[in-house]
Amino acid sequence: MPVVLIYRKQKLEVEGTLTVREALQKLGLSPESHLIVRNGELLNENDILRNGEEVKIISAISGGAR
Amino acid sequence: MTTIRCHKCPQRAVIRMRQHRLALCKDHYPQWFIEQTQRFIEKYRMFTHQDRILVAVSGGKDSLALWDVLWQLGYEAEGLYINLGIEGEIAYSDESQQATQKFADQRGLKLHIYHVEEQRGESVPAIALRTHRGRQKPCAVCGLIKRHTMNQMARQLGFNVLATAHNLDDEVSFLFGNLLSWNLRQIPRQSPVLEAEEGFVRKVKPFIRFSERETAAYSIVRGIEYIEEECPFAEGSKQLQYKDLMNRLEEQQPGVKLRFLLGFFNAMEQGFIHPIEDGQGEVILKPCPSCGQPTSTGGLCATCRLFEEN
Repeated sequence: MPVVLIYRKQKLEVEGTLTVREALQKLGLSPESHLIVRNGELLNENDILRNGEEVKIISAISGGAR
Repeated sequence: MTTIRCHKCPQRAVIRMRQHRLALCKDHYPQWFIEQTQRFIEKYRMFTHQDRILVAVSGGKDSLALWDVLWQLGYEAEGLYINLGIEGEIAYSDESQQATQKFADQRGLKLHIYHVEEQRGESVPAIALRTHRGRQKPCAVCGLIKRHTMNQMARQLGFNVLATAHNLDDEVSFLFGNLLSWNLRQIPRQSPVLEAEEGFVRKVKPFIRFSERETAAYSIVRGIEYIEEECPFAEGSKQLQYKDLMNRLEEQQPGVKLRFLLGFFNAMEQGFIHPIEDGQGEVILKPCPSCGQPTSTGGLCATCRLFEEN
């Protein structure tokens, strides 16, 4: 079972074990504009994701009329 | 890989901010964030505890975080939600209003709601469609109506300060976009504070030095239930493209966004960048005969003209 990452209602998968930063980079997402939350807890870029875990990716960037 | 620890205690850090060379845990991060906000409020002389502040809230992470911080700092801050009538996959505006109302109720805060369709007879997308503004996107009309309504409501309700949650990424992408098109009239108007003028309340941006990553982290750590969905019209916007570009740069050069913006403010302060004085930029404001808000048009203001075309 790989690491499952929920991003905009989609399930993405990467093979663990790897850091949050590595997972985001593998998915082509900037760690400057995305955060990862596991069971409601915010993870830092060096925290480890392991196979079988499910986490959520939060996009920090929003845009619209000023 | 080494575990990142909080710089203030032995706990695991929830965020590392490379531009500040700082990592903080779930307890120290919100504390730091609130202290920094207070520091920015004082540095840019935004307001004091004697002012009445209206916070423009959208239900998103930035504006709810701002209201939460001002509430914790003990400011007299009430919220204004403008229901724009935007639909999308979810009933975007209605869901955002509900999230905002829930946030206010949980904290015993007063929320003012302005419903565009109820007040104007049409939603923002309908107004944009009818007036043929903005190439299939209502963003230009949306911005116009929001700015107009925020000022109008602040004045009507007796607030002397209007606070918006514009953050570092908003300001950097706006500045970058204006530079790309050499919009020299707009560039000198960008500032953490827009002073009150005849008919305009003072506008302030207390989060101007926080990145969106930092405001999102604050909302998550504080357990704020904000609307994660993006406005359905924001997709593909230039602003999002600029933000993405700047964040790619930030990955390689930590602190580049903050340096870009602060360098601009310093240049403004030292007089290297100033408003164009060719007479054309000189604006004479008169009250709009319909709504009474100041306008430079000499007749109806830009917002009232949207409805004259009806």
